[in-house]
Amino acid sequence: MKGMLPYLLFRPDTFFSERMKEPEDLKIPGIIVVIGAIISAVTAYLMSGVYSGLFSAAAGEGMASMMGAFSALSAFFAFLILWWIIFAGIFYLLSMAFAGNGTFRRTLEFTGDGLVPVIIGLIISAIVSLYYIPLVEVPVISNIQDPAAVQRFMSDILTDPAFREFTRISAVISVIFLAWSANLWIFGIRHARNLTVRNAAIVVLIPVAIFAIYTLYTAFVGMPFLGGP
Amino acid sequence: MKTGILLVLFGLIAFSPFISLAGAQQAGEGAAQVTVSSVDLNPGVFFEGDTGIVMVEIINNGLESVAIRRATMYDADISILSSSYDTTTTVGAGNRMQFTFTIKADVPPGIYYPSFSLDFRDAGYLRYPVQIRVENDPIEISVLHKPDTYSAGRKEQIDIMVGNPRDNAVGSVIVHFRGTSLDPAPSSYFIGTLDPDKAQKISFNITPAEPTSLEIAADYKNGINPHSSMVTLPIVFGESKRQADPILSNILVEYENGKYTLTGDVTNAGLEVANSVVLSAGEGAEPVNPYREYVVGSLQPDDFSSFELTFLAENTSKVHMNVAYRDVDGNPYQRTTPVVIPPKNNAREDSPGIAPAMIAVILVSAAVIGGAIWYSWKKR
Repeated sequence: MKGMLPYLLFRPDTFFSERMKEPEDLKIPGIIVVIGAIISAVTAYLMSGVYSGLFSAAAGEGMASMMGAFSALSAFFAFLILWWIIFAGIFYLLSMAFAGNGTFRRTLEFTGDGLVPVIIGLIISAIVSLYYIPLVEVPVISNIQDPAAVQRFMSDILTDPAFREFTRISAVISVIFLAWSANLWIFGIRHARNLTVRNAAIVVLIPVAIFAIYTLYTAFVGMPFLGGP
Repeated sequence: MKTGILLVLFGLIAFSPFISLAGAQQAGEGAAQVTVSSVDLNPGVFFEGDTGIVMVEIINNGLESVAIRRATMYDADISILSSSYDTTTTVGAGNRMQFTFTIKADVPPGIYYPSFSLDFRDAGYLRYPVQIRVENDPIEISVLHKPDTYSAGRKEQIDIMVGNPRDNAVGSVIVHFRGTSLDPAPSSYFIGTLDPDKAQKISFNITPAEPTSLEIAADYKNGINPHSSMVTLPIVFGESKRQADPILSNILVEYENGKYTLTGDVTNAGLEVANSVVLSAGEGAEPVNPYREYVVGSLQPDDFSSFELTFLAENTSKVHMNVAYRDVDGNPYQRTTPVVIPPKNNAREDSPGIAPAMIAVILVSAAVIGGAIWYSWKKR
């Protein structure tokens, strides 16, 4: 893996064509995904500090720590499921439209390999968050029983300039590195599902583009139901 | 013999006038020994229209009994309600006898002398003028102390003096405090007998709920006749000139950590102590931890204390700070002070712009990734 990483990142076509000669193995992709899930969990735990006021008001200081752990655990499994299982599943299903053949296991393996840039992006986002989170002015919730107060709390967080800026920078970084992962996935799906480059690009870019647009939209336009900007 | 008997009879007849004259003279001397020993009036001094009792006591100072045919009282102005004593009776030597008459003083104030008349059966009569005084001076109620103004729900003490300017004592004096929504305590005060030229001080409290009038009524009896004196006090609401007056000053409002923090001083500019002083954010503000409220406690006149409040405020530039306090009697008061707060958005504009390092990270990442993608397509 150590020697193959440059090949994966810079010559993915060669990397995946070589991997096709080897038997299917989810160990390396599994490790990659678990690393990504851990980084995602750490980032989520850091971000939970922003919402600690809400959790503290709801159930005390102990609950805030517990909710941080719960957020980290959720992020861990969300990464596993969303970035690996769901993306691989979408690629597999879409490639069926182009008469792709190849096992889902192989698709899962190459999708996991292609997550390396996303993980790099996550690391950078986590570092960026260390800069921005202390700048976030965490609002005070007056009454946890009052839905309007909770709404106002969320609105205050989402409209906080530091938090908003972090969200946008993090989204841009995610999309940039997602593009890199998409590049890897194009070649990976091409080989895993035996598609043309064009068809593989279509299979990969459709969900990736949707996901990227969604990410940028929520970061720059916001989620109205959460009182976003 | 016959002649002798006739002479005796003639003699008796001849001297009989002298015998009867001597007996009459003896009875007249007995009547002269009957005098009025005392006169008792109840009430001692009448109000105009009062009904009362006159008791006349006579005494026979002679050595023989005196027969009385009639005892009565009469006057041209004073009405005598009771009947005369028309039954013949005898007052023994050294004995006393009382005659009681009911009279009604339907006359203007003044001094009257109805006559007590005693007719003897055997000799003349006795006339005795009884002095009856009629005055209309009522019981006086003086207000010694009362508040300048009143407030709803505030207990105030009022001191009064009930005095008797009459020449006789009045009885069953009860002072009543009447009025709507006043809650007087005590509800009434029993004095009892109030002697002439004496006064009784009374203190009572009222807790008015609304502007009204307080009627202080002193009910009493002059003999058997009920009378009443009354004083009315208007209960007007307003601010007391001496009450505590907490003033907020040195106010500083800052927005930080998602909430407004207001600091300042509260000074008691009044002349009375302000107890249980509690400050809180009022209209326009939503109190939040850690300083939802700030308890200052007791503030003496001219004393001050610093305080701190934390609150949220949305879409407003002005909030109200409430100062709640109590006077020495525990009556609650509240004072509201408007405070202008800085815009929250301006306070948050101090947030960082996009740091150059972040821009560099994004640009470098984009360049590296762009290069990697270009390279991967070139070398595939």
